[in-house]
Amino acid sequence: MSGEGLLRFALIRVVYFFATIFTAFSLTYLLLRLMPVNAVENVITQITAQGMIYDPEALNILRRQLYEIFGLVGSPWEQYLRYLRGVFTLDFGPSILAFPTPAKSLVVRYLPWTIGLLFFTTIISWVIGNLLGMLSALKEESILSKILQGVAVTLYPIPYYVMALVLIFLLAYLIPIFPLSGSSIYMERLDLGTVLSILRAATLPALSIVIVSALGWWFLSSRTLTLRVKAEDYVEQAYLRGLPEGLIVKKYIMRNILLPQVTALGLALGTIFSGAVITEAIFAYPGLGLLLFRAISTGDYSTALSIVSLSIYGVALGTLILDLIYPLIDPRVGHR
Amino acid sequence: MRKQPLLTRIGELFKPLVRYTLLLYKFNLKFRVGLLTLTALILFGAISVATPPHHWKWFVLPKDQPPSLSSIDVIMGTTTNGRSVFWASTNAVLNSLVIAILTALIASHVGLFIGLVAGYRGGLIDRTLMFITDSFVVIPQLPLLILLAMLLRDILTIPFMALLISVSSWPWPARQVRAMVISLREREFVSTAILTGIPEWQVILKEIMPHLLGWHLINATNTVLYAIGAEVGLSVLGLSILSIDTLGTMIYWSMIGYPSLFRGVWWWPLPPIILTIVVFVSLYLVSTAIAESIESKRGVIS
Repeated sequence: MSGEGLLRFALIRVVYFFATIFTAFSLTYLLLRLMPVNAVENVITQITAQGMIYDPEALNILRRQLYEIFGLVGSPWEQYLRYLRGVFTLDFGPSILAFPTPAKSLVVRYLPWTIGLLFFTTIISWVIGNLLGMLSALKEESILSKILQGVAVTLYPIPYYVMALVLIFLLAYLIPIFPLSGSSIYMERLDLGTVLSILRAATLPALSIVIVSALGWWFLSSRTLTLRVKAEDYVEQAYLRGLPEGLIVKKYIMRNILLPQVTALGLALGTIFSGAVITEAIFAYPGLGLLLFRAISTGDYSTALSIVSLSIYGVALGTLILDLIYPLIDPRVGHR
Repeated sequence: MRKQPLLTRIGELFKPLVRYTLLLYKFNLKFRVGLLTLTALILFGAISVATPPHHWKWFVLPKDQPPSLSSIDVIMGTTTNGRSVFWASTNAVLNSLVIAILTALIASHVGLFIGLVAGYRGGLIDRTLMFITDSFVVIPQLPLLILLAMLLRDILTIPFMALLISVSSWPWPARQVRAMVISLREREFVSTAILTGIPEWQVILKEIMPHLLGWHLINATNTVLYAIGAEVGLSVLGLSILSIDTLGTMIYWSMIGYPSLFRGVWWWPLPPIILTIVVFVSLYLVSTAIAESIESKRGVIS
């Protein structure tokens, strides 16, 4: 494939990326605007209910500011433009959670924790799930393979956060290995203690994601794919030629299941993110999920909107990157 | 063209479905286990019609009472606000299933319709519809739901909740239906049908729909599953209809509202967690069983 074709493909894909993002945000705006409630009054009720602000003067200032934050002043067109500007700069004004602090800097503070958790759990479960699935398909008749299959069918439909609740029950209540409340993390200096406290806080959330996605989806899909590839003529022929088993698995089977699984990784990103957000909230793990939970309980729309916008970017970007590197893995993919 | 009353015609549509269900039940173990569990769950939810009126008040029963066999109210213990866990659970199963089934009815049909129109008409209509669908696919489902639920939480009702969850669960089905319709449209039997000059809606209903029906059934089942999960997820964040019993709100009140595990009140959060998992596994078994049988028959239910 020519370099020029590659460039054109990449260009079209990037333009499409921006177009979908733009529409996605416009749709979000429309949906939010169609809702038959007043966001600002919602926030004010929430705040006064919690007794955060007593001074009526301050409340009025806040109300005015909120109307501006939500872009509820000016003509609909102006409001829409202001919203778009907020989306593209990811700046939705001050947060209510930690009042003068901008929502953006709150999100930036919590973001690395979520990225870290997502990155490790996704990689670990992808690798473990695919390997186990492949092995179980190769040793189809063994008892272990059948047990794993049964476990996978049970685990697959369960969301991470339900698994999280089960794990809290088992590993924090029944067998108290982990603390019932989320363990706090101290980040004063980077030493062994800090690392240990991070590990302690991250293990259960990570475990609930890894168990479900490795033993559920990745296991099942890789097993199905391997079974299909195993039945192909060229694999049969390789066996008949007397090639060593290791070589067949590596060159004939693995490469062919890798491909669809990489695509699936891109498609799974959104689901993984969504599930992880709630899992984080359950474990009080200091990621975006916890921030979102706190934002919801204080009625902090600017922070919530920032997180949702960021996740839209994240998922779209993940899919874009995978689309772009796909031809590197699959020489058969042409750029049209 | 023979005229039939509408009801008979609708009945005709469901006849293959019933025959198919019976057949699957007879020959597929997964389907049998899944359907029986599901029926048991629905029956458990149905018990809730017998809920005694005092269940809706707090502190009628002693609080934090462990399970005992002395009366049906305390058979599964009581909550920290003095309500019966048993009655709460039956109501929760019913309400969650109602929300989920409503969602499946709305979302899967919207998806089917949009996919059919886009795939069958093609051209500009197709491109417009698919562009909107793609943009919805890009928006991660739960964060969108969270944002909407946050705005609406004071006025949420059961049908509203179903509508809300539907917003995030129609785009994928629409995409898949479109892909199937596009390939079906090119097949010979469809072109022949079009050439005979029968009306468009009949081509869709008689030639294309039978090939989509099996898939539609799986999709509806999966949407029920997704909706149950979404409701639990929203609840954990405090964004469900917190004043009624659902699987999600039971989990919310027992684990987040009144962290009951700290006080050793394990009988309150355990039932909703177990019931949620049972719902998930049974629905999944049903949907995979249908998928397996369809794979061997290339999508036609007859």
